[in-house]
Amino acid sequence: MSKRIFETSTAQETPIELDEVTKSYASGMGQVIALDSVDFHVDAGEVVAVIGPSGSGKSTMLNMLGLLDEPTEGQILLHGDPATGLSPAEKTTARRETIGFVFQDFHLIPTLTAVGNVRLPTAFLPDDATARAEDLLTRVGLGDRLRHTPDELSGGQKQRVAIARSLINEPDVLLADEPTGNLDSETGAAVLQEIRAIADEGVGVVAVTHDDLVREYTDRTVELVDGVLTDAT
Amino acid sequence: MLRETLERRLPAAVLAGQNISRQRARAALAALGIVIGVFAVVTLGTLGTALQVAATAELGGLGNQVIISPAEEATIESLNSRDIQAIERAAAGRGTVIPLQTTGATARSGESQTATQVYGTTTPRTLFNAGNSIPEFHRQGAIVGAEVASSLGVQQGSQVQVGPNSYRVIAILETETGISPIQGNSAIILPPNAFTTSGYSQVVIKANSGGDAAAIATGVRSRLNARQSRVSVFSLQSVLTQIEEFFALLNGFLLAIASISLVVAGVSIFNIMLMTISERRGEIGVLRAVGIHRQQVLRTLVIESTLLGIAGGLVGAVGGVITVIAIGMNTELPLSAIFVPMNAVIVFVGFGFGVVVALVGGLYPAYKAAWEPPVESLRG
Repeated sequence: MSKRIFETSTAQETPIELDEVTKSYASGMGQVIALDSVDFHVDAGEVVAVIGPSGSGKSTMLNMLGLLDEPTEGQILLHGDPATGLSPAEKTTARRETIGFVFQDFHLIPTLTAVGNVRLPTAFLPDDATARAEDLLTRVGLGDRLRHTPDELSGGQKQRVAIARSLINEPDVLLADEPTGNLDSETGAAVLQEIRAIADEGVGVVAVTHDDLVREYTDRTVELVDGVLTDAT
Repeated sequence: MLRETLERRLPAAVLAGQNISRQRARAALAALGIVIGVFAVVTLGTLGTALQVAATAELGGLGNQVIISPAEEATIESLNSRDIQAIERAAAGRGTVIPLQTTGATARSGESQTATQVYGTTTPRTLFNAGNSIPEFHRQGAIVGAEVASSLGVQQGSQVQVGPNSYRVIAILETETGISPIQGNSAIILPPNAFTTSGYSQVVIKANSGGDAAAIATGVRSRLNARQSRVSVFSLQSVLTQIEEFFALLNGFLLAIASISLVVAGVSIFNIMLMTISERRGEIGVLRAVGIHRQQVLRTLVIESTLLGIAGGLVGAVGGVITVIAIGMNTELPLSAIFVPMNAVIVFVGFGFGVVVALVGGLYPAYKAAWEPPVESLRG
């Protein structure tokens, strides 16, 4: 199999958890509760799928796990420490050090090559991550596409670039928002295999999905309905 | 690869440069505003300075002249030798005193004749220019102004009749281009003994500097006008000061107009950056999500608009300099009046303003983009 080219923190078995997290918005129709006292954790090496109808709060939950949004109540714990009161700069650093993101529509920078995109999170860091970016791209099967720009890549290739990017900082958690949403089933399966392989190396993976295919690669599935999280079987 | 080395060293600058290259036409339009603004500042500013320098060179000698003549309200019609002595004491060490007799006369040579101003002085060299042909001490013969000489058709050695008497032409003055109250072009200079009167109708003092001119004027007034107003003292120093103030005002006005176009350029950069960041919201959200700090995003976007300013400023400044030099080569404005240190300052300041305007124009859009919560930006 692929060689292990990144290190993950193994000291903490639970890199990230949500503790009684509630998120509510004021809207025209009054208070909308997007998340209702959600308890959730992902362990190192585990793949968890979050399913549920649209509007059920899946994206909000992923934003909470990704430190992109603040809960109204409850706490987000990063390696057991509360991350809720961190400043924007501290959260930014925590995201860079702990979390990898994979988005449904890839969100690659069109002017950058595959290597440039993968290296992007380290752009302002002193060390050169070019070699690592090339290794990661080779690992996801794009060793021959290193200097291609996104418009020269297929959807599946783009998503693999995005996965390589999410790994550049050796994250403890990979958050994937509909990772196969824009891919055909064959390509999607390849991407999911890649994600499974990443988890097997000790990364906790949370994948929000509509795709039943995803569940074949997960250890656990939870379901969100109207902001309430339940274990699904 | 060079590009990758740069990306590592100056990530914000490289990202900014790549962003500009995405929308070349739009970037060029944004920079065009700066080009026009800087061009206007550079051309108007340097031409204004050049005009001022050229005018000062032309008028510069004027400020050093003091002209003393009998006061209108006084009963005397000419200055006597005691007056001259008093004036010489006032001017001692500060300039040269040239007593002049003045009259008008018709000059003739053969068939042609012309009206001339006739000056009588023993020391014409200080006031008039004709190479070395003007004698140190003017005893005999006529020195003829360039215009008079050409209209009478006389040259050195010819005879010219002034009033009832005939004189040999000993020198022809060079054509004067500067402005001076004592005009040599239409004058004939004779020795004082050619005049029937003995007093002097005016005294011209060539001071060593503008300050000396002012001191001499004050000294002469206190010596000769203490009891009654005997002489009128005319110094162009104050007129020169006024002319200089006028030019300063004119230059300020020109630069203000040019600056307006720079401000407009800043607004267009602001506008285009707002457009750009609203298109790139999603990308900026990704940058923030993957751990790029707000200040780093801000820096990248501000560099982007500043690069537009640098590019536009360079084009505008170089274009302006070329235009001004072309104007200097095709008009009477001397190049020496253009190549003065002040103009180098104007070119650099014009360029600098262009860059600053672009930077400021990009500041708010960049701030707006970088400080937006990433969860909002990602929603696109």
